[in-house]
Amino acid sequence: MNKAININGTDYPVDVPDDMPLLWFLRDRLYFTGTKFGCGKGLCGACTVHIDGNATRSCIMPVGSLVGRKITTIEGLSKDGDHPLQKAWVEVGVPQCGYCQAGQIMNAASLLNTNTSPSEQEIENAMQGNICRCGTYQRIKKAIAMAADELATEVS
Amino acid sequence: MRSDIESLVVQQRVKQDSITPTHNSTNTSTQSSSVTTLNRRNFLKVSALATGGFCLAVSASPTVNASASSSSFSPNAFIQLDSDGSLLIKSGRCEMGQGISTALPSVVADEMEADWQYVKVEQAEGNIDKYGRQDTGGSASIRTQYEPMRLAGAAAREMLVAAAASVWSVDSDDCYAQNHFVFHKPSGRQLSFGELASIASTLPVPDSPTLKSAKNFNYIGSYLPRHDVSMVVQGKRVYGADTVVPGMQFAAIVHCPVMGGKLKSLDKTQAMKVNGVTAVVEIERLNVPFGSLGGVAVVANNSWSAQQGVEKLVVEWDKGEHGSYDTDAYMQMMVENVNKPAEKMADRGNVDKALAEASNTLSAVYTQGHLVHAPMEPNSSVVHVQKDKCEVWASTQSPDDIQSVLSSFLGMDKKAVHVNVMIAGGAFGRKFKCDYVQEAAAISKAVGTPIKLIWTREEDTRTGFYHSNSAQRIEAALDKNGNVSGWLHRIAFPSINTLFNPSIERAPKNAVGDIEGHPFGITNLRSESGYAPAHTRIGWYRAVYAIFYGFSYGVFADELAELSGVDTLTMLNRIYDNNNDPDKADQVKRSKAVLALAAQQSGYGKTLPKGEGIGIAVHYSFQSFVAMAVHVRMKGNDFEVLRVDSAVDCGQVLNKDGATAQQEGAVAMGISLSKYCEVKFKDGAVVNSNFHDYPVMRITDMPQVHVHFIDSGAKPTGLGEPGMAPFAPALSNALYQASGKRHRSLPFKI
Repeated sequence: MNKAININGTDYPVDVPDDMPLLWFLRDRLYFTGTKFGCGKGLCGACTVHIDGNATRSCIMPVGSLVGRKITTIEGLSKDGDHPLQKAWVEVGVPQCGYCQAGQIMNAASLLNTNTSPSEQEIENAMQGNICRCGTYQRIKKAIAMAADELATEVS
Repeated sequence: MRSDIESLVVQQRVKQDSITPTHNSTNTSTQSSSVTTLNRRNFLKVSALATGGFCLAVSASPTVNASASSSSFSPNAFIQLDSDGSLLIKSGRCEMGQGISTALPSVVADEMEADWQYVKVEQAEGNIDKYGRQDTGGSASIRTQYEPMRLAGAAAREMLVAAAASVWSVDSDDCYAQNHFVFHKPSGRQLSFGELASIASTLPVPDSPTLKSAKNFNYIGSYLPRHDVSMVVQGKRVYGADTVVPGMQFAAIVHCPVMGGKLKSLDKTQAMKVNGVTAVVEIERLNVPFGSLGGVAVVANNSWSAQQGVEKLVVEWDKGEHGSYDTDAYMQMMVENVNKPAEKMADRGNVDKALAEASNTLSAVYTQGHLVHAPMEPNSSVVHVQKDKCEVWASTQSPDDIQSVLSSFLGMDKKAVHVNVMIAGGAFGRKFKCDYVQEAAAISKAVGTPIKLIWTREEDTRTGFYHSNSAQRIEAALDKNGNVSGWLHRIAFPSINTLFNPSIERAPKNAVGDIEGHPFGITNLRSESGYAPAHTRIGWYRAVYAIFYGFSYGVFADELAELSGVDTLTMLNRIYDNNNDPDKADQVKRSKAVLALAAQQSGYGKTLPKGEGIGIAVHYSFQSFVAMAVHVRMKGNDFEVLRVDSAVDCGQVLNKDGATAQQEGAVAMGISLSKYCEVKFKDGAVVNSNFHDYPVMRITDMPQVHVHFIDSGAKPTGLGEPGMAPFAPALSNALYQASGKRHRSLPFKI
């Protein structure tokens, strides 16, 4: 199969119409259900994954445009849930219903890829595309700051 | 799915599973080593192997029931202790993010003296006979289940103690349970819960087990982390929308946009041409309270194709009798109806006389638009209708209603409808109503395969069960001492009662009861209900009517304070102190206490820079007391909430972490409904569609929330909703201080 995309380190053939959004290829074709459907219009961030390390809304990203790209979903963010953000999320106890949290974490991971010590303002700016209706924002900010601190310690 | 993809998926799954820690918090290595050590005692090993463990059931009423089963003490599986010490606790109430599946099982574990690390929580399937009422709303789970859960845990503990005493042939009074072991005090001997499980299973269940003293609580009142966080952060928590069933197809739906309307014409030609689409199914309106509005569904081999198919449908609707509903005009009508005499609901003393003799009077009108719940997970379920049974996997707040509605719709016995209760990705009252599940059943019945139906955000917004829009007018009399001597409260809103009886034309007595029962000390009071029939489906929304009652009471108190020349805290205390009804003494005392605490923690009354303000409000709802002090700063015409101090009296707090989260969440939802949220109708249909035209608050709006609990020693009450009522009025009052502008309508017109 020459049309393939790499998801969490494994190549998968793209055998669906090119214009199917990545979200539905992940969820309905491959059963990677950690990535969530929230709005279908790139407005809420629940479907956030990484494309070559950058946070992207998978609900509006045609899968056909991703051939040869590297996709990371929440299932592939770390081997056993030990990404500094995942650890911080557990430590702080961020989730309520938890439905938006994969998108929140993936978006935050992308932020930390480019900015390892974001200010509170930078965290807010980076995270404002991700909606949480339960209202866990205060804890999200705290957990991102905590993860950034851990990364800073690892680097130094 | 193609076989080559399938094998890749399987490989991937195997890889993941092999590196994934178990979902529960059980520390396997610790567990097996302790079991190995302890199982050196041969007699216990044998009995444990012979029977394996024990189960204990709890009925919905606060008495423990149990009956013997064939293999072991296993009346039904609510608490199941295995011989290796692992403890399974089933959570009967539905989880939607409020943390109930941690809070209640932790009560069982605490009373049982179990070690939380050996506890695995499992969501109970829908079964009212086994688990009692499972419908989850009204902030009622903790209020009603705390005592039964404690009794169940205590009974299990006493049986384990008795088991140990019988093994050692000693007096059980000399034995005690602690942290998953039973100890014999005089000799220091010990046996693990796992070792004792099989013996305990043969013993009688105590009739009235002794509860622990609060000072010995291990988990109750602590910050115990939720049992499912590690699953959530790895994307492994399975919501209704995530259910995968072999052979299932995917569906999307478009509904008749107006309540009571019907399909006029349908052309499905283009929809059927969409790659992957297999069927188009007409869904008839089901005329029961939680039934489908009616619509057209498209079935495909993936959700996206189904959604594309829906877009390609050419549908015409006959809008029916509510086709001209217009919320702007309707609001105007409600405001008119509260500005003139309406139907009397409650009446005490003589309001007219109080108003006539008043030194001063004040009146104000408060309004709120419709809200839609907008949980992040739109309505979702998987349903498989078979010949004589129906299997359901649903994000739901009420499995029992699913069973009732589906059994009547499918003509099956209620017990033939098996409901797997999935965690809801937010619900806020919406997922109490099972129209979306009934639709999945209708589609599955039509096409013969399991169906996953996920509503689009647009359908979720446009065809919901909406929070009542409302108008209220309060007129108060003040005597010469500045005391409130009379209170005339007129309301108009379409009530939830209309869902069950569409002919109701004004909010009835039970929907207006909050006014008569309010703990304010008002001697002369009358409530009146204005004409307000429903033109759409009205439903419970987190905190329900307390949202707008809390708003009108909270802002009006601030306006009364201004008129009387005192601060709001003084005014509120004055009104509460006027209450001489002994039945209300507890409510008055606790309302004042949370108010005082919020004021003190926020620095209420201190001098602030220009353009800032701290507003305060208090409300009693769902048997809990919450006061909030909100600190704002103006940013041009816009504003920023800097800090919120929430003072809470919900009696004994079960889980401080969860209770705190509920307050943070109430503030967030409060900001959304104060600043942004309003569903509007035009020509019978909802105008909004998605988060661009139904905006909700984002991280940039989130203030620092500080939560303070009062230990009143009272019985525990719920907190899922009570934080909602005081926020918006406290914010409105803060904005008045900061800007001089009074906000009496939700959402505010900034």
